[in-house]
Amino acid sequence: MNVLFAVATGIMFGLGVFQLLRRDMVKSAMGFYILFTAINLLFFAVGAFNGRVPAYVQAAETAQVSDPLVQALILTAIVISFGTYAILLGLISSSARRYRTADLDTLDHLKG
Amino acid sequence: MVLASVEQKSLSKAVYGWLLAGLVSILFAWLLSYLPTITNLGVIELSLPWVPQLGLTLSLYLDGLSLLFGLVILGIGAVIVVYAGYYFDEIADLARFYGLLMGFMGAMLALVLAGNVLTLFIAWELTSILSFLLISFYGTRTEARNGALQALIITGGGGLALLVGLVLMGTASGSMDLSQIISNSSLRDHPWYSAFTLLILIGCFSKSAQFPFHFWLPGAMSAPTPASAYLHSATMVKAGIYLLLRLAPTLGDTAFWQTALMSIGLLTMLIGAAFALRQRDLKAALAYSTISQLGALVALIGLPGEAGLEAALVGILAHALYKAALFLVVGAIDHSTGTRNLDELGGLARQLPGWAVVATMAGLSMGGLPPLLGFVAKESLLYAMLENPLALGIIVCSAAFTVTMALILVWDVFWGKREEPHHLHEASRGMLFAPAVLAGGSLLGGIQLQAFVAPLITPMIMHDLHLTLFAGFNTPLALSIVAIVGGVAIFAARNTWRTWTLPALPEGTQIYKSLVSGVEKIADLALRTQNGKLRYYLIVILGSVAILQASAGLGHLDNVKFEFNSGTDILRTLLLLLSLGATLASILYRKHLLAALALGLSGYCVGGLFLLEPAPDVALVQFMVETVGTVLLIVMLSRIDADERERAMNSLWKQSRAGLVRDIVIATVIGVGVGIFALSAVNHRQSVPETIATWHIEHSPDIGINDVVGAIVTDFRGMDTIIEITVFSVAALGVLTILAVPARKLHSPAGRLRVLRRFENAVLRRGTVLEVVHEPEAVHEDDKPLVSAFSTPLTRIMARFMLPFAFLVALTQLLYGGDAPGDGFTAGVITGLGVTLFYVVFGYHESHERLRWLNPRWLIGGGLALVIGNAIFPLLIGQSFLAHLSFDQIVLPANLHLSSTLVYETGIFLTVLGSISMVMEAIAYPKEVEPL
Repeated sequence: MNVLFAVATGIMFGLGVFQLLRRDMVKSAMGFYILFTAINLLFFAVGAFNGRVPAYVQAAETAQVSDPLVQALILTAIVISFGTYAILLGLISSSARRYRTADLDTLDHLKG
Repeated sequence: MVLASVEQKSLSKAVYGWLLAGLVSILFAWLLSYLPTITNLGVIELSLPWVPQLGLTLSLYLDGLSLLFGLVILGIGAVIVVYAGYYFDEIADLARFYGLLMGFMGAMLALVLAGNVLTLFIAWELTSILSFLLISFYGTRTEARNGALQALIITGGGGLALLVGLVLMGTASGSMDLSQIISNSSLRDHPWYSAFTLLILIGCFSKSAQFPFHFWLPGAMSAPTPASAYLHSATMVKAGIYLLLRLAPTLGDTAFWQTALMSIGLLTMLIGAAFALRQRDLKAALAYSTISQLGALVALIGLPGEAGLEAALVGILAHALYKAALFLVVGAIDHSTGTRNLDELGGLARQLPGWAVVATMAGLSMGGLPPLLGFVAKESLLYAMLENPLALGIIVCSAAFTVTMALILVWDVFWGKREEPHHLHEASRGMLFAPAVLAGGSLLGGIQLQAFVAPLITPMIMHDLHLTLFAGFNTPLALSIVAIVGGVAIFAARNTWRTWTLPALPEGTQIYKSLVSGVEKIADLALRTQNGKLRYYLIVILGSVAILQASAGLGHLDNVKFEFNSGTDILRTLLLLLSLGATLASILYRKHLLAALALGLSGYCVGGLFLLEPAPDVALVQFMVETVGTVLLIVMLSRIDADERERAMNSLWKQSRAGLVRDIVIATVIGVGVGIFALSAVNHRQSVPETIATWHIEHSPDIGINDVVGAIVTDFRGMDTIIEITVFSVAALGVLTILAVPARKLHSPAGRLRVLRRFENAVLRRGTVLEVVHEPEAVHEDDKPLVSAFSTPLTRIMARFMLPFAFLVALTQLLYGGDAPGDGFTAGVITGLGVTLFYVVFGYHESHERLRWLNPRWLIGGGLALVIGNAIFPLLIGQSFLAHLSFDQIVLPANLHLSSTLVYETGIFLTVLGSISMVMEAIAYPKEVEPL
């Protein structure tokens, strides 16, 4: 199953890069978001073991729990990527309003 | 009146000099007081750990060598300080000079007192930097800037070599401590010996202006003369000599060491002495003669055993005394006559009699005439080299040239004939003090060798000294006489050889210049690869990372196992496919809204995967964040003009086939690279649960938390979470800064005008048809607030009831987060969603009215303060930072536990709620949400 996760990570990363390279700012931002998700999938796939029950101390006595460490890492990653995403959207929105365009290529020559 | 005030000013400047010199003299005396201790004990060490992981200690090491150099630095420094007080005309210049000079003095002392090679290196670089600042003291002059840069590049480049050499040597000897390196006798046999010795030698040679690095020193003569006298003859250029002397007992005495030092030293000695004669600028002539003397010192250190040690130490002392004095004399000549060109000077003895005496004394010492210290130095040099005929020949030649140089300096400038007297600028009498002291030192040192010179160098010499002014008629004396006679003969014939043109040899300066221009050309070439389009940079960065990842992963793809063994796996596969399909859909949709929703669906599918793991905490957060993210994106869409968005979207479908193929290829390459990396990572994960994760599971009960993920986030990795929350709130502040602040400025008429100007300028600069926004819409909004399309009576009621409900859910999350899914972050996002709903339904103005009690800034500040305070509190009661505190003695109903974790979670909750509210407020501000 984890092999499938790895393959899906690769595909999603590729999709994200493609989306990131669009001229349309909004789509470009979406590309970022896809990359974040792809990375979370990767984290998820490299956990040390698969579990049958959630990672709770009491449950650990009866059955194999899922790897708690990667979950903690993903939690942090989600929060940080959300913050980044918010900043990105803010930037796009303000530059789109200021320069009246949502096309990145027309922004290329604007400095300052 | 005017004259008096000028007098007053120059007097007060001199007073600063004397005061400062007093301070330096106290240091000098203090250091001198260590002389008896050092003579008896040998070494005093002091060590304070600094960065122990790097082997970096702040340690001091004082032995005879350090003491001698320290005394030279402080002693000459004191007289230079006095001199500078008279030298500078402007008080501002003087103040700046003193600042730099004192900084240099400190760095130089640190260099010779350093007990650790890394601290030594830091001090070494500091002296290079301060030398740069002093050479470029008159920064408006081109030659000052060029000379300074050249000196910095040469000595700095040598410094890099030195750093590598020192680190290699430290690694080889197992310690960065100087004392341990010195006592390590096996370094000569180490396989890296030639490598680190060569690198260290490059560092020392570049600093001490040895061939082929020598040319920076004459270029450095644009420094103010006191700095030249101090840095570029007495102290800094001797740093290389110091390090060579310091390491000679450990690294020296090998064929490599002897060959390198002897050949380079003697070559430098000869070149320096010969080139000095070609100079017409007095300072340049002195600089070349300094190079020559430094070469002699290097050659002496290259002698086997300690044969050259005594001569080298006397040489250092003698050279520092007479050369600094001569520089100061030249400075005074420059100061009074306005020139240092030999062709324009002559017969100064009548007008400046005191200076003539001082210059004669120092010059005779330089020429090596008895009874001055320079004579003793030259005799010891010849004595040390007695067994090497070639060296003797070179030394006699150089000595003869040096005698000629000394005669030119003394005779031509002071005693020679000149028809018309110079028009002199007043030279203060106090100015003479410093060179007089130094020249007097040369004389006293020569006459009273045993009293003044011997005690200083005894601590370093194991055997008896054979320092004498007159040792009877022996070979050195005979050679000396040959050199003096030869020098006088060359001097007498100076009008003949001065007209000779020497073949144009490629000089170091030219090589340096062509190197620098070569670097510039390469930089120009490199600049051509920059086209300024961000997407290309992105492609390069991502592509290289992907290639790196793929190359790392390819080697680990052996026996990839494909396991597919439960019913849930079918569900997982379906969710993965759905997620990928939704992502693809978000790419293909031609409407932004649909694309955003598809993206949201993809995120929900990933949340579903988390749920199946089972990882309920992560799934919960993923669902929450996905929701907020999608709402955020949709709200943001409404702020961009629909036509603009359509135009940008349409441009995607007009992309040329070649461009599309290119993008697909890039995306595929990167995707495959990451995929290979992921495959190898997955394949190599440990199947045995003997990982850090097991430790976390076992230790969670210790802090009374049942939820292991929660325990990791709040406790084991608590510091990470604090940072994470801080980053999150900073991001929220960033959004506020990006969006709200420029928008708010629009309210004031002045602000509106300013924004308009900026738009116009931007358009003017661009020179294209970008439409100017003459009336930002935000201005009108205060007059007639738009009503959101989502604002129906039903949604209004929902929004109003949702928020208290969200708070209730958040409370349960907080209180039971330790035992059930959810934590402070989830609680914050849940209430944040409630706030988001408010902004979506009511729009900015009404929400702002209704949520007046919700102040994001206070929430963020308070939350962060709570989290950090909670982390610091255990420190106050003697526990460690972020320690878990449990208050189980307070019995609460409903199975509640009061602990520091609860406080921590509450802080996180407040911060997250504040951040999301802030982002929402900022986004919602200028324009109401419209239907898409």
